[in-house]
Order: sequence, then structure tokens, then C-alpha cells
Amino acid sequence: MKRSNLIYALTFLVAISLVSCDNDNDNDNQMMPDMSADFSGTYAQVDHMGRPGINTVLSADNATKDMQNVTLPADMAATFQAGFEARLEAYHDVYATLLGADPAAVNYENNILGLTAAQLTGYLAADVLDVAPNLPTTYFNPGTDADMDGRILVPDGDEIGLTGRTIQDDVIDVSLILLFGGMEGDRFSGQDTNDDGVADLPRLTSDGVSITASPTTTFPYLGNPE
Amino acid sequence: MKKTKIYLGLALVAIAGIILVAADHIDAPSSMGTSADIADFYAFEPTTGSDNTVFIVDLQSSVLPDLAYGTFDENVLTEINIDLDGDLVEDKVIQAIPRDGIMYFFGPVNPSQKGLNSQVMTDSPLGSVEISAGTAITTTTTSGVKLFAGPRQDAFYFDFFQFNAVIGGNAPEGFKAPEEAVDTFDGANTMSIVIELPNSMLGTPTAKNALGLDVYKTWVTSNKKQ
Repeated sequence: MKRSNLIYALTFLVAISLVSCDNDNDNDNQMMPDMSADFSGTYAQVDHMGRPGINTVLSADNATKDMQNVTLPADMAATFQAGFEARLEAYHDVYATLLGADPAAVNYENNILGLTAAQLTGYLAADVLDVAPNLPTTYFNPGTDADMDGRILVPDGDEIGLTGRTIQDDVIDVSLILLFGGMEGDRFSGQDTNDDGVADLPRLTSDGVSITASPTTTFPYLGNPE
Repeated sequence: MKKTKIYLGLALVAIAGIILVAADHIDAPSSMGTSADIADFYAFEPTTGSDNTVFIVDLQSSVLPDLAYGTFDENVLTEINIDLDGDLVEDKVIQAIPRDGIMYFFGPVNPSQKGLNSQVMTDSPLGSVEISAGTAITTTTTSGVKLFAGPRQDAFYFDFFQFNAVIGGNAPEGFKAPEEAVDTFDGANTMSIVIELPNSMLGTPTAKNALGLDVYKTWVTSNKKQ
């Protein structure tokens, strides 16, 4: 296993050294598909992805994760919603226990989109990425505080979301806000509730990191390998 | 009652102790670390108001040692699925499969076989591009479709070690503050397939997202030759 990885790596290095002197980075002479290549046979699905992180975070165990990868999207909500909701509640229970609170008293709170736990997990269980062909792309952009109620994350008419996923979109923070942010989007965000200078609530609505890669504005949009 | 909950919590901690990586990187035992492991999926409008859509599929990732990374596998067919009417059944597919240093693309086409098994749609060739090494080699077809395949920066960003501590019940404080958080994917590379095509080749969607906007419902699968 390891050995074959090594062989792949060596092959790759050889490939790089052979091609690195070729600076032609725009192949204008389009290669026509070589129909002599053999494309016959049946290909069976082994992995699936729609939205980032869904299977990883909300499937409870390895058997479920494997099953999610070979379940048709049309069957996913019926198959996985209940398990996802239980998992979401279990995350809240873990934190209740850590904080010395009664797990039964610390539960998911409807999120900034007003979705209940059942609605949110039903929506996420159908693991597809919505892509709007005629609107600006954003996983979720809260917009500005258009109604000036001091709550930027709470929808007030100028937000836009669920229109795709750009390379820059902070999909983890958006997901955390929807799962743990409650109605205001900041339910568990490291608050110091008794003003003693120490956070009393966990920071669960942002992982704290921003993009470190350098996407480009031209095709193929992703930066050269490092 | 409470004790049972705590035991449940501890069991969850044990389950969650397994290394988890998002977005879809090594998400499940059957596909993780293999040449068919989908790492990420992006879909976006390249510029505001553009009539094109860009799809990026990242396969494999060098984020952790011992993961398959470095070459596309000729036995793996990558498929971008597009549902137009919201029944979560693919109406169009775009396929990509490598042969001898070239990535071949097929579609967008209504596939002859839907669901978990696929054939390469050789009657609907779209174009092909030489698989790049360090510098991007791109192709633009006569129908205005741009194609790329090769190693790129893994642009996903996430403090995943702290995430494991959080869901493992080992981080009462939750995620770290921005000045302390670390992007685990900083420096990682991935094997990317990038396609940019006119929306007119996909059709007009009637499906809606949760905010009532017209969207394609999209997902990506990897499929192994039987």
C-alpha cells in the first residue's frame, strides 16, 4: 500500500521533470478525443459529494458514511434525516456535559433561517449543491444590516445564499452557524457571560481560519500546486 | 437517566475519535485514501453576470501522509450530475476519465443509465485536455468550453485538528480564536478537474433552492470500473 504510494510519487516526480521545461500553458490546438481509446465497461459509484462536510460531520458512524456515498440523492432525505438530527442533538449533549449542564436542557435552537432541527437536517440530508445560473454565487452572504436592527446575520432582505460555492466561500463557518448559531447566529461564540474576562460559552460558530490558498481570477481558478 | 446520557456522550466521543476530514476528504472508510476519493466540489459563476458556470472536482489530497495522491486513475470515472427539475435525479451528466496522459470529457448529456452504475457516453464527446504537471495546460473547445485536469493547490480551509478535539469532547473552549487557529490544509495539493461551460449547454432549471431561487441541483460522484 505504502509502496504503491511511493511509486505513484516517483512517477509523478518524473512526470514533473519531463514537462517542466514546457512553458506552453495554453493548448490552442485542441486535441480531438481519441476514439481508439477503450472506454468500455460499467463504472460503479464509490463516492458522492454535494455540500461540503455533510457526510463527515452528520453521519454517525462509518457504516452510515459508506452508505451515504452510494445512496441516490432522491433517497437521501428519507434515509438519513433522522440519524442526522440525532447526531446534531448529540453534539449539543457533548457540550452540555463538558460545561456541566444537563444534556437534556441544551438543545438545538432554530437557526438564522428559522429552520427547525428536523427541517435543517432534512435539507442537508439531500446532499446536493444548489447552483443558480443567473445569480451571483455565494454559499451564504448575510449582506448588510439593511433593517438596522444590529443583527447582521439575521436575514433582513438583502442576504443571498444557496446559489453555489466559490473557492473563497467559508463553508465551514456557514455550516457551523446554521448548526450551532441559533436564531441570532452567535449562540455559542465564546461569550464571556459574567464579565470575568474568561469565555463561558464555547466558540462553535467559527473555526477561526481564513483561506490560505491563492485562487486566481482566470481559468482554472485554482493556484499552482505547492 | 443522566448517567445513560453521559455514557452515550462517551460512546460518541469514542466514535468521533476516528480522524475526520472535511469537506469530503477521506469521508468514509470504503473510499478514503483511494484514487477515487472525492476531496471537494465547487460550482460558481466565474464573473458577475457571466453566462457560464464553472465546476471544480478535487480528487485525492495530500493533506495527510499515506493518502493516495499524485495521479489520476484510469479506472475511475468522475461524473458531475445536474438535476434541472428538482426531483434529485440527474437530467444531465458531464463525465471525465483519463487515458494515457489525456483527460477526456463527455456530455453534458442525458445519461443512458441513471443511478449507481454508469457507462462512458462515448457518443457525446465534449473535448480533451493534456493532464498538466506544475503549470496549467488548458483547452478551449469550439463550443466555448474550457477544460483542465491536473494537480492544484487544495483551496479548502479548516482547522480540522481542532475540529477533532471539539467533536471528541476534548475542547471545552470550542474552536480557537483567529490568531491561534491553524488551517490544516495550508500547503496541501489535490488532483483537480475543472470545466467551464455556457449555461445554455445545461438547460434552464425549474428547481428551487430553500430561498425560492431557480437553481441546478448538482452533485459529483466517482465511479470505479467493474
